[in-house]
Amino acid sequence: SRLAEGTPRRSIQLSNIVEQRVFKDNEIISTPKRGRKTKSIEDADADYSPRSVQKTPTRTRRISATAKSTVTPIRGTAATSASAAPITPSQKLKKIRAGELSPSMQQRSGKPVDESRKSQLQLAREQLHVSVVPKSLPCREKEFENIYSFLEGKIQDQCGGCMYVSGVPGTGKTATVTGVIRTLQRLVSQDKLADFDFLEINGMRLTEPRQAYVQIYKQLTGKTVSWEHAHTLLEKRFTTPAPRRVTTVLLVDELDILCNRRQDVVYNLLDWPTKSAARLVVVTIANTMDLPERLLMGKVTSRLGLTRLTFQPYTHKQLQEIVTARLGGSEAFKGEAVQLVARKVAAVSGDARRALDICRRATEIADTARDKCVTMLHVQQALGEMIASAKVQAIKNCSRLEQIFLQAVAAEVTRTGVEESTFMGVYTQVETIAAFMGVSLPPPGRALRLCAKLGAERLIISEHSRNDLFQKILLNVSADDIHYALRVGEIAAAN
Amino acid sequence: MPEDAQELRKARRFLKERLQRDYTTLRGYKEERSNVRQLLQRTAEMGESNSLLLIGPRGAGKTTLINAVLTDLLVNRSFVDNTLIVHLDGNLHTDDRIALKSITVQMRLENAADGKVFGSFAENLAFLLQCLKAGDKKSKSVVFILEEFDLFCTHHNQTLLYNLFDVSQSAQAPICVLGVTCRLDVIELLEKRVKSRFSHRQVFLFPSADQFEAYTKLCQELLLIPSNSELKASADRIDSLHLLKSEALNFNRNHFDGVEYEFDNKFVENWNKHHAKMLKSSQAQKTFQMLYDFDISEAFLKNFIFRLVAQLKPDAPHITVDQLTALSAQYEGDDKIDMLCGLSVLELCLIIAIKHHSEIYDRDPFNFEIVFARFSKFAKISTTMQSVERSIVLKAFEHLRIGELIMPLSNSGVGKVQKEFEMHKMALTYGQIQQAVQRYQALPTEVAQWAQSSLI
Repeated sequence: SRLAEGTPRRSIQLSNIVEQRVFKDNEIISTPKRGRKTKSIEDADADYSPRSVQKTPTRTRRISATAKSTVTPIRGTAATSASAAPITPSQKLKKIRAGELSPSMQQRSGKPVDESRKSQLQLAREQLHVSVVPKSLPCREKEFENIYSFLEGKIQDQCGGCMYVSGVPGTGKTATVTGVIRTLQRLVSQDKLADFDFLEINGMRLTEPRQAYVQIYKQLTGKTVSWEHAHTLLEKRFTTPAPRRVTTVLLVDELDILCNRRQDVVYNLLDWPTKSAARLVVVTIANTMDLPERLLMGKVTSRLGLTRLTFQPYTHKQLQEIVTARLGGSEAFKGEAVQLVARKVAAVSGDARRALDICRRATEIADTARDKCVTMLHVQQALGEMIASAKVQAIKNCSRLEQIFLQAVAAEVTRTGVEESTFMGVYTQVETIAAFMGVSLPPPGRALRLCAKLGAERLIISEHSRNDLFQKILLNVSADDIHYALRVGEIAAAN
Repeated sequence: MPEDAQELRKARRFLKERLQRDYTTLRGYKEERSNVRQLLQRTAEMGESNSLLLIGPRGAGKTTLINAVLTDLLVNRSFVDNTLIVHLDGNLHTDDRIALKSITVQMRLENAADGKVFGSFAENLAFLLQCLKAGDKKSKSVVFILEEFDLFCTHHNQTLLYNLFDVSQSAQAPICVLGVTCRLDVIELLEKRVKSRFSHRQVFLFPSADQFEAYTKLCQELLLIPSNSELKASADRIDSLHLLKSEALNFNRNHFDGVEYEFDNKFVENWNKHHAKMLKSSQAQKTFQMLYDFDISEAFLKNFIFRLVAQLKPDAPHITVDQLTALSAQYEGDDKIDMLCGLSVLELCLIIAIKHHSEIYDRDPFNFEIVFARFSKFAKISTTMQSVERSIVLKAFEHLRIGELIMPLSNSGVGKVQKEFEMHKMALTYGQIQQAVQRYQALPTEVAQWAQSSLI
């Protein structure tokens, strides 16, 4: 049935009922709800309600054991919300599920570093961090306008709708959409626009597609319930008309993760806007442009509609503009240095994150070199590090027999003409090369060890060593890289 | 002399413990070490979020580098107070569910009590993300150390990696994600949205024992006994760690501790002089060159030296060149030849029959009947193998099979084909068989002659 394949059924209502019956609401004892998890409500009733007074010996022992160790670690700001009496873990869990306990992080003991004490490079580095999203994104004005007019229109018309936004990673999709939402929320606070709710889910932050219901419901009410329950409650909310319902904007990030074979979650998320009672506007974000046609079913694609927007990768000019906008008026970067980063990154992916990370690395390099300003050389070094190809370096740093082994694999590929060679053929080549170079030949057992070591590094791709002489070996580096690494080394050694 | 024996026992224990349990001493890698150290320091002090991948071949000192950096930093009070360290291992945390529970426990979040985590997988993930989202520059930095990072890439949807990298790229609690792996192409394993969120800092650790001199110096360092003052300095460093009692270092309870050892000056002088001389000798150099040619990693050398040190006895108080060469001969030896030499003559005859078959038909697969026919031809005219029954030969054949000297062509066909007719291949080279025949003790001349030529 439907329940069988979702999350293990662990209804909170059920356990609340049971807890109320057994522990009379306020007793400070608890047992980990292990055994009860799978039982149905009848079982739980039979187990607990008649015998709630006279407990079985094992049960009392367990309870007393847990009661003794009721020292619960309480930390952070949440400790203030807790009363003086110690809370047992299950009570705490209940509070977490009810949303009464706000999750918190441990605080630092010292104060953060003062702004005025930071150097110019440090300030630039902080400004260049990917997390510092600017108030208005440069080079995305058109897309901003597009999404803004769509959402504003939907909110004003008080109808539902869908939009699909796509583009390769790092092209400012989520940042633009949340920017639009922020602008709209500002308008709402100035009473220039009708009020609306904003919900947000991310496919990659869910353990499975159906948890989307849980997260949406949690953002509406703050409570955590099982997905079945959340689903029915959401269904009720969106399908039954209610007076003074405000428009809800739902942002769905990483849409492709929410697609499973049945596609029931995506269908529901896109079907609700079509109901007149819902007033739901769904904005979906994904990477691939043709996702609706490629992955989604016909009816889902049809509901997704044709309001679409594609974010193109940044060009080198745009990337340059982004970085200079981040830097503000700071003199920490030379103009041509930024240009070099922009051109190199735009040629590969057009990913803004990549450009910002490389710039940040360049400031670090300049910092260690004790320079005040990031020049071309620093950027050059940062580019070398971050668009790294370390294979030649790895081959150069292999031991001598490993190098011979790599040469042998390359020789065997040349000899047979096919990419895939067996260990036996390679070993014959090793014998030949070792004899030629005057090195003592390793026995096959040790050659297998060399092979496994190179395979772990992924310089070659090899099977499990249990296949012994018959395992297949593929070269994972190009044969030219091997020759380059070993020849250049030889020439350097000769000089 | 009982004192000398005492001293020697102490020296042996000292050397062994230093080889095995010294988790924090890192040799070389100055630049890489300062790179990682600065990154962690900035995460702790400035509240920057970062991510880094440490890549290098197995045995290159990746874990030692992290341990060394952490020991350096943990002496610093401001680092200890402002950071939480979360260790994860791809071999232990085989899926996101287990990893997430471990994170919850190690960060001491509120849904964990005494190492037990409450709630389902989905709830745990949601709670962790909420906690991290609630944090800002004022909250503690979290350093995630993911060992065997490539195994985390195999998890479903790479959810954990996406979320960790996503937190490091957004304005939430400051975290630093440190991946450690031996695969060079690990970035290609990441999904493109995860790859985009990763900051592409990679630190490569290739053993810098590129030159043989550095390698011999390392040998000396591992084998010689330091002076008492040096011992004291290292002991002080370890003591400062013990004082911290930090949970971040799970190795400090059982770390090598130099303070227990104090050597007689004369003994140390004697020891070091003898072994420095021994290591200089050409024979020793040749042995180490052999090891170096095979594997340049420190782990391999340590293994070798441990076996060497374990041979120290009161009646043989020094490591001699002979011991060194004898041990290296063990390393060079071929295990399969040893195995062949342990077979009975009948089994060796079968191996020879298989070898003849392979030579004639160019490594074609064979079954028992083929081998038995070839063997019977030889047994009929031999003087010693006349009375061997078929069932005994079959037993010998099975013996070879479970010794994996011969291997079945495919594992699937076991049920279908009778065992006398199942096809096999030989997992030996001709050279190995030849050497085994030469080295076999008391091999009948007939068999030795038959091994030379398949003509009878």
